[in-house]
Amino acid sequence: MDWQAVEGSFRDPSGFVYTRDGILYRQINRSFREPYEAFLTSGLYDELARDGLLISHENVGLDLSATVEAHAVIRPERVDFISYPYEWCFGQLQDAASLTLDIQERAIAKGFTLRDSSAYNVQFHGGRPVLIDTLSLEPWEEGRAWAAYKQFCEQFLLPLTLMSQRDVRCGTLLRNYLDGIPLDLGSRLLPRRSWGSPRSLIHIHLHAWAQGRYADAAVTSAAKGRSMSRKALLTLVESLKAAVRGLSWRAAGTEWAEYTDDNNYSVAAAQAKRNMVVDHIRKAGARTVWDLGANTGEYSRAAHEVAPLVISFDLDPAAVERNYRRVRRDDESGILPLIQDLTNPSPSQGWAGRERLSLAERGPADAVLALALIHHLAIGHNLPLERVAAYLSRLGRVLVIEFVPKTDGQVHRLLLSRPDIFPSYTKEGFEKAFARHFRIDARDPVVDSERWLYRMTAIPQSEG
Amino acid sequence: MYIDPTTGSLVLQLVAAGVLSAMAMVSRVRDNVKSFFKMLVPRRGRWTGKP
Repeated sequence: MDWQAVEGSFRDPSGFVYTRDGILYRQINRSFREPYEAFLTSGLYDELARDGLLISHENVGLDLSATVEAHAVIRPERVDFISYPYEWCFGQLQDAASLTLDIQERAIAKGFTLRDSSAYNVQFHGGRPVLIDTLSLEPWEEGRAWAAYKQFCEQFLLPLTLMSQRDVRCGTLLRNYLDGIPLDLGSRLLPRRSWGSPRSLIHIHLHAWAQGRYADAAVTSAAKGRSMSRKALLTLVESLKAAVRGLSWRAAGTEWAEYTDDNNYSVAAAQAKRNMVVDHIRKAGARTVWDLGANTGEYSRAAHEVAPLVISFDLDPAAVERNYRRVRRDDESGILPLIQDLTNPSPSQGWAGRERLSLAERGPADAVLALALIHHLAIGHNLPLERVAAYLSRLGRVLVIEFVPKTDGQVHRLLLSRPDIFPSYTKEGFEKAFARHFRIDARDPVVDSERWLYRMTAIPQSEG
Repeated sequence: MYIDPTTGSLVLQLVAAGVLSAMAMVSRVRDNVKSFFKMLVPRRGRWTGKP
């Protein structure tokens, strides 16, 4: 077999995604021939791809197919970095939800419908959400209700409502509930005032009740012959759009979101550090950079001056939200902000633990930035320096890392509330621990501070 | 991808679409009534505003 299936696309009998010689392809199976051809000839594909709502593709020959069931093979435009809904901030999930509904609205107008509305079918590409599953659209049969309505509510509307009305950290429930947060659970978690909103009442609370009420009923008897007109379907989508648009979350006031405005750097030190970062990334020749602990993305933007793509990770939803809003405001196509807790990074999970990839499996990046991070991991979370070095060496080929000594005000603040049980947390101890996994290429003091900036190259596992 | 829409979800949609349509109609009627009265007020204002 000279092709490799892409994990996460195997559930759909209509087709699947695979790579051959490093190139990504999607096979459309014969069983989906008619809906797929109807989709192409309707002009809907052209419209969605032209407006950037659906990933565009090229048709290629059947000689590149993976199996004999192939009706057609396409080569979709490749998304640079696959992210998951449990890594998105509120604004990203909201934009992905709006995209899904925009597509459904346009599809209905052309006599089509989304047959699923999985949040995993949306990716951020060039700074914007885009649908990546070309096989999600099929002709709509007159009178048929929207099969993906429940999925939309569980994967988009309910998480957004919980994040907006209960706590933004409810978004992390999506990491446990990969198919979406169960409606009955969400209904119980939402505050009472949500019952007063007609849209939350219908799409979440009554929806959850109906799940239980008709759990064992057949569709034909429960529906009592009623069907869904096109106008009714559009009304439902319009209501969901208004519900999504009506939700908001104010990203301010958390410790990290304010960090950039309240740190130890003088203007000179900050500028010097910025120049050093750009220089190191340039010397690394990096095209993809992962900025770990990026906060609102100041240094991600510095790295982006020389690297086409920067994934800007932070654990704080408020910092990621502010970063994402800036990406949208300034139309920054090369920066992708994501939520990531490095002390508990995204694991590989889903069916057989292979459906959704871990953070490390989506690497390694050409370069990893770890600025003002090491003290939070080593002192804030008791992680031994050697283990931090070992993990970082798996994430990137080159590491640009800042060492923050105990004399620094930020470390001093961390040690105020705990005993200093970190005797090896010194510049020498840091270099010794990292030298086991990296070759240290450069070390320079940051002007006007006691910090040091290093550029290191990861030593391959077999040599380490 | 094939998903299970569940009976409860399908039934709720049918009912919800009807309710939402009715709400939209009521809203439209209310807006029309409002705009009718708004139209009357400035007209009266113009007449009474003349010396």
